[in-house]
Order: sequence, then structure tokens, then C-alpha cells
Amino acid sequence: MRINERAVFKWVLIVGVAGASVIGLALLTRPLLGSLWGLVLVIAGCAYGIRWTREWWRSSRSRPGGPDYKP
Amino acid sequence: MESASVPLPHGAGGHAAEHEHHGPPEANQSSRIDRQTLGILLFIISEVMLFGSFFASYFFLRVVVNPASWPPQPFELPVGIAGMNTAILVSSSFTIHYALEGIRKGNKQAMKLGLALTWLLGLTFLFVQINEYVHLGFSVRTESFGTIFYSLTGLHGAHVFIGLTLLTAATIRAFRGHFDKAPEKHLGVEVPGIYWHFVDIMWIIVFATVYIL
Repeated sequence: MRINERAVFKWVLIVGVAGASVIGLALLTRPLLGSLWGLVLVIAGCAYGIRWTREWWRSSRSRPGGPDYKP
Repeated sequence: MESASVPLPHGAGGHAAEHEHHGPPEANQSSRIDRQTLGILLFIISEVMLFGSFFASYFFLRVVVNPASWPPQPFELPVGIAGMNTAILVSSSFTIHYALEGIRKGNKQAMKLGLALTWLLGLTFLFVQINEYVHLGFSVRTESFGTIFYSLTGLHGAHVFIGLTLLTAATIRAFRGHFDKAPEKHLGVEVPGIYWHFVDIMWIIVFATVYIL
């Protein structure tokens, strides 16, 4: 994945949808339920981040500059 | 300090040796990310940690101190106005994205329009927030609630101000014809754009946490 504004904008959309779901749930039910749903999303986001980072390091050998890179 | 130039054989290319590069070698640069983008990403990571400490204080005061109601009586937060302000800031992310998509396709008019709109939306957000502060009815010294409310929203407001400063520079440069289609020729818009998206993402989290939950 190339890191640029386009990639960051995708995260604006993801956080926007996640935030809207938390706000919607809190307003429709109780703030506690919205908070719990927010916590679930934060934990899921952290898990995704850790997995992405591990995969990034695992594949680093075959990327440009890595010892196994073949142009 | 040792020179980076390679000594040439005696009599061969003596003139060329005079024009060789002296001093430290060129810095290594990743092929996946340019140094300006890497710089702003590292800065954003440090900012996330700063916001994290403020959120930790907020949740400590709210959950551990556990007042009878939040916000404490008789204070009320203007959720409607803040919601409208959220819509304004989220829209500004779309306009900066429009500006960058424009310049990627070589459309400088789209870039100028997108940047100008983003700047105006950001300024509107800041004015609405200052107006909100004026009419809130409590100050930073009003209980721990007032302190953490102003600290968290004020920290974000400071970031909007920094983002607006970056956007001002980018917009002036855009109108003076500084940017072009090639990726390395519009980094001056790309980097403020990434920062602006970060400011937007943080506000969504601040708004949901402080005003709604």
C-alpha cells in the first residue's frame, strides 16, 4: 500500500462511518451502549493495526531494499 | 570530516574531479514513501499520543471520579451546534480530497477551488467553536468538567488553527501556480491534506466522546 493522502482519506471515511454508528446507537438507545460499541470498534481497530504491522514486517524482505527483493 | 568523493587516477579526469560532490553522501530515501510524507506521518503519530493522554484524563475524570451526572448540573453542551460543526469539518475533508484528485489529474482550477473551500470551511469551524465557547456559560475553571472540556476541545481547536495555517500557505502557493500533476510537484498540498484528514478524524472522536456519550 502506498501511503498518501488518498489512503488517509479512506481512513476518514472508515472512522466517519464508525463514529456515526457509535453516535447513532448512543442517541437511539443509551449512551452506555454507544460507549461499549465504541470500545468494541477501538479493540477491533487495534487488532487490525497489530496484524497489519506484523504482516508489513513479514513481507519486508521481499520489498525494494530487502534481501530477497527481485526487480 | 572525510570527503565522499572518490580519488581519480593521476592525470585522468582531473577536471571532472573538481566538479565532484563533496561532503556527506545523499541521504537514503525509501522508494515507498517520500521524506515529507514520512515526516508528517511521524508527527501525526506523536499527536495521536498527545490526544491519547487527554482522552485518558477525560475518562479518568468521568469514570473514576464518577460525578452524579455528566455534564454536571446545570450545565449543558450545545450538541446541535457541535453536530453542525462536525458536518462542516467532515465536508472539508471531502473538499481537500477533491483538490488533490484535481491536481493529480492536472486540473489546477479544481485544486484551487478545493483548497479555497477547505480553508473557508476550516475557518467557519473555528469561528463556530469560538462562538460556542463564548456562549457556553462555564469556564475552564468550572469544576474538573470545565477543565477537561476546554482542554480537549481547545487542543483540537489549536490543531485546526495549525492546519489552517498550513492550508493558507498551500492555497497562496496554488494561486501563484506552484503545483503540478507529478506527485513530487504537489507535496505542498499533499502534506497539509494528510494533516487536515488527521484533524478531521480526531474531531469525530472528540465529538462522539465529549458531546454524545
